[in-house]
Amino acid sequence: MVKRVSMRFTGSRLIAISSLLIAAVAAAATRPRYGGTLHVQMAGTLDSMDPADGSQRGTLAARNLLDLIFDTLVALDDRGQPQPALAISWLAEAGNQRWQFVLRPGVTFSDGTPLTPEVVAGSLRRANPAWKVTARENAVIIQVDPASLDLPAELALPRNSIVTLEAGKVLGTGPFVVSQWDPGKKLAMAARNDYWGGRPFLDSVEIEMGKDTREQTIAYQLGQSQVIEIPAGQVGHANDPGPLRVSEPIELVALLFARDVQSPEETKQRQILALSIDRDLLNRVVLQGGGQPAGGLLPDWLSGYAFLFPVSADLTHAQQLRAEVPQAPLWSLGYDRSDPLERVLAERIVLNAGDAGLRLQLATTNTPDVRLVRVDLTSLDAQVALSELASSMGLPAPHFLGHSSDDLYHAENAMVQSERVLPLLHLRTAWAVSKTVRNWHDSRDGAWRLPNVWLAPGRP
Amino acid sequence: MKFRRKLLLVFALTVVVCVAAVAWISSALARGVFEKADEQRTAALVAQFRREFDRRGEEIARRVDAVAKSEAATRMALSLSPGPPDYAAYLNEAQTLAETWQLDFLEFVDGEGTILSSTPWPAKFGYKESFPVMAAPRDSFLKQEQRPDSMALALVVVRRIPAGDSPLYVMGGRKLDKDFLASLEPSAGMKAFFYQNLGPSFTPQFLITPTGVTQPWELLAPIVQQVQQRGKETTSLIHWSSDAADDEMIDAIPLAGADREVLGILLVATSRKAYVELEQQIRSAAVVSGAAGIVLAILLSGWIASRVTRPVEQLAHAAQEIAAGHWNSEVNITSHDELGDLAQSFNRMTRELRDQRERLVQAERVAAWRDLARRLAHELKNPLFPLQLTIENLLRARQGSREQFDEIFQEGSSTLLAEIANLKAVVSRFSEFSKMPQPRFQQVQLNELVHDGVRLFQSQLGAPGHPPIECRLEMDRGLEPLAADPELLHRALANLILNAIEAMPNGGTLTLRTHQKGDRFYVEVSDTGSGLQPEQRERLFTPYFTTKQHGTGLGLAILQSVVSDHGGRITVRSNAGEGTTFSIELPRNADKLQPAEAAHTTSGS
Repeated sequence: MVKRVSMRFTGSRLIAISSLLIAAVAAAATRPRYGGTLHVQMAGTLDSMDPADGSQRGTLAARNLLDLIFDTLVALDDRGQPQPALAISWLAEAGNQRWQFVLRPGVTFSDGTPLTPEVVAGSLRRANPAWKVTARENAVIIQVDPASLDLPAELALPRNSIVTLEAGKVLGTGPFVVSQWDPGKKLAMAARNDYWGGRPFLDSVEIEMGKDTREQTIAYQLGQSQVIEIPAGQVGHANDPGPLRVSEPIELVALLFARDVQSPEETKQRQILALSIDRDLLNRVVLQGGGQPAGGLLPDWLSGYAFLFPVSADLTHAQQLRAEVPQAPLWSLGYDRSDPLERVLAERIVLNAGDAGLRLQLATTNTPDVRLVRVDLTSLDAQVALSELASSMGLPAPHFLGHSSDDLYHAENAMVQSERVLPLLHLRTAWAVSKTVRNWHDSRDGAWRLPNVWLAPGRP
Repeated sequence: MKFRRKLLLVFALTVVVCVAAVAWISSALARGVFEKADEQRTAALVAQFRREFDRRGEEIARRVDAVAKSEAATRMALSLSPGPPDYAAYLNEAQTLAETWQLDFLEFVDGEGTILSSTPWPAKFGYKESFPVMAAPRDSFLKQEQRPDSMALALVVVRRIPAGDSPLYVMGGRKLDKDFLASLEPSAGMKAFFYQNLGPSFTPQFLITPTGVTQPWELLAPIVQQVQQRGKETTSLIHWSSDAADDEMIDAIPLAGADREVLGILLVATSRKAYVELEQQIRSAAVVSGAAGIVLAILLSGWIASRVTRPVEQLAHAAQEIAAGHWNSEVNITSHDELGDLAQSFNRMTRELRDQRERLVQAERVAAWRDLARRLAHELKNPLFPLQLTIENLLRARQGSREQFDEIFQEGSSTLLAEIANLKAVVSRFSEFSKMPQPRFQQVQLNELVHDGVRLFQSQLGAPGHPPIECRLEMDRGLEPLAADPELLHRALANLILNAIEAMPNGGTLTLRTHQKGDRFYVEVSDTGSGLQPEQRERLFTPYFTTKQHGTGLGLAILQSVVSDHGGRITVRSNAGEGTTFSIELPRNADKLQPAEAAHTTSGS
């Protein structure tokens, strides 16, 4: 009996223990775990680890990679609202011309040196020579002229990352520290245990840059890479390699004229070109529906009024206007020959322009009359994003009368009406992310949040 | 031109003409052989090109067939509906299938001629295809393929996919490029180019050339334009550089598309290097042969000429010797040919001439002796007759009275003495002629000698009962002194003046002139007498010739001897009825003077 009882007791206990073990294993599969290396492949490149390097300002690759190594005083959330980062609070004085940012205590750079107001002031002065930045106890004072209501959002830009220069190296306070750096090709990073925001779950991140779609796809399918970049033209394609993480349209495709309008006839010619291009067909066919036709510079999700800019092609109207122009000069259209998407877009634009009677040909020189450009939106703050767009394209900075939507619209409309830039499309950015990558945050602007990502065990 | 040179020229010309003729004939034959070989090689390469063309066409046809039967194409054909096509679904189909089947061009076109998918121009979706795919031939054909930024020539095939409600056409092809040319295997010295006739004018960028070959392609423009205009095969020689060895014969063969329009031109270049080298070798051989022939001609002509001309030259030399008075010259006879006969005849002629001359001299000598005897007899007979008459008169007077005899004796002795004096004079003149004295040069003034001569005969000129003779002196007052024997010249001038006076028995004008030309001095004595007959003028200075009743004929001979001894000469101008002029020309003779006198003469001049 005893034995039977004993056996019954033992069997119950075994069942209970087994149930507990199964539950524990199941819980372990959904609970974040530390460790592992995240392998990423992407088409974009980063040639300099210096955030203040103007040559790569505003690219998505720069933003995502630099965010892993460097921090800014302020960060923007998905709604574009400034959130504390290295600065825990800030205060505007004297009509938004003088700002004080109180620094987060206990923050260190990757080499262990503490973050001080002097270092922060030096870093900001280096990135913004026009600013007057001074250190004060546990804070920095920034004086700008003219006044800027968007200074916190501007401080969230990657180029305003806080850095310190040590033996020729640029060090940051970010969650990862560079362990291997091959400019333009490979970047390997290790997690910082002493990161002020908490140690990342990942032990390391390895990023291979400049990879074409085919290489990325093969690496993804072989499990050599957990995250790859999906070209804009293949977003929503039936043959996607896996589940996509798609951002809001954050990249502007536009035609940028090399010079200002010189005559009323030229204004008309640029209007003819704008009317002749079938943006909807470009989006549906060339982008496979992965973007949005654009009449304005900012996407609708950011500005809220993009529908006010016309995007429809009107070939009849274009031909009528063409009849009013006695002679149309031969324009050369430049594009990035290494970008297959730009090539197809450029060729289609040439065909569309020809339908309207304009003479447009693909450029063979480096100084075309008009260039097809792709510019990333680098801020979730609309005014900052528009200013950065203008800066990236070499256009005059927009003039904002205030901080309302009307002020933003008038500034953007003035840029569009100048006929220097002809918006065509807004593209989304997309990443194919393996199922083993957990807690991937689908940000609106396509930004990574890798400190919160962790890797599930097993083959992807 | 000497015979030797003529012979050399003839030999050299013969050699050069022969060598040139042989070289030209050889060159022409070589050219003919090379041209025929080139034609055959070109035809072979063109045939190879056409075979490769057909082979590629079949290969492309197989690939396009495979594309047409592919699942993607079938799906596309089945999905075609009356509404607007879903271009987004087809955008990359052409590129994907083209990569799979290794086609450079691939297009899907619906029954309306609308492009559904295209590569390498994917942006062309929705536009009409310019080529009527519905009427395309079954086999492969050439076609201009429009690219976004260029044009290219391609070998294409069109297939119809019979699926779905509306037909779907697939048109695929491969461009003609360097790989196509590389597949050809031209023989050595040949190259093949392919010109894509994509524009109205010649554009070097449209020329497909073998790898590594660079030339000034603009030189091909004329032949390409010729084919463009005529549409027929054309051949032309291209000079790539100044070196003829770089020349190439270009055969341009037009290649037409489906609508018979010339779309491409196959250019077969055949190097003329081998021919040019052979021609240069022929030319060099001809030059060397010609030079050797000319040298041989020189030697041969020299040898022949020496055999022929040496006897002739000996003959000429002997003739010159004889002409110079060496009558004993003879030619050695060394051959028995015509030249030997000629030399023998020359020697015989020389001997006969020598004999005739001796006979002539002998005869002249006899004639001279006879003439001298006649003269002497004549001269002696004149005084002898009075002597005979006087003596006979004396003999007759001796028979008479003493007074009469004394008177006659007185007269007779005077006559005898006079005649004896005449005889002495005659003898003296003959003696004088036989031993003419050598002139003793001294400085004289010619004008003074003339004045002295005239003064000597002044009394005779104005003698009563004698017709008046006017004496006119035309002296050159600037006459310089000269070296001469004044005595001999005086006598010579006196002789000429006397002759002139005697030539004017009826009176007239005696003119004496002097003048000087450089180192030559002239004295002229002119009369207005009856003049001389031509035969008299020719023999005037011959000794013992005279036109006078009582002259010895030695006066002018002596005068000529005197003038000759002075280094001068005497001439006569005379026509019958127009008087006679004797002209004495004398040199300065400064070198004949003693040094002191010479210095005086020079300073005086």
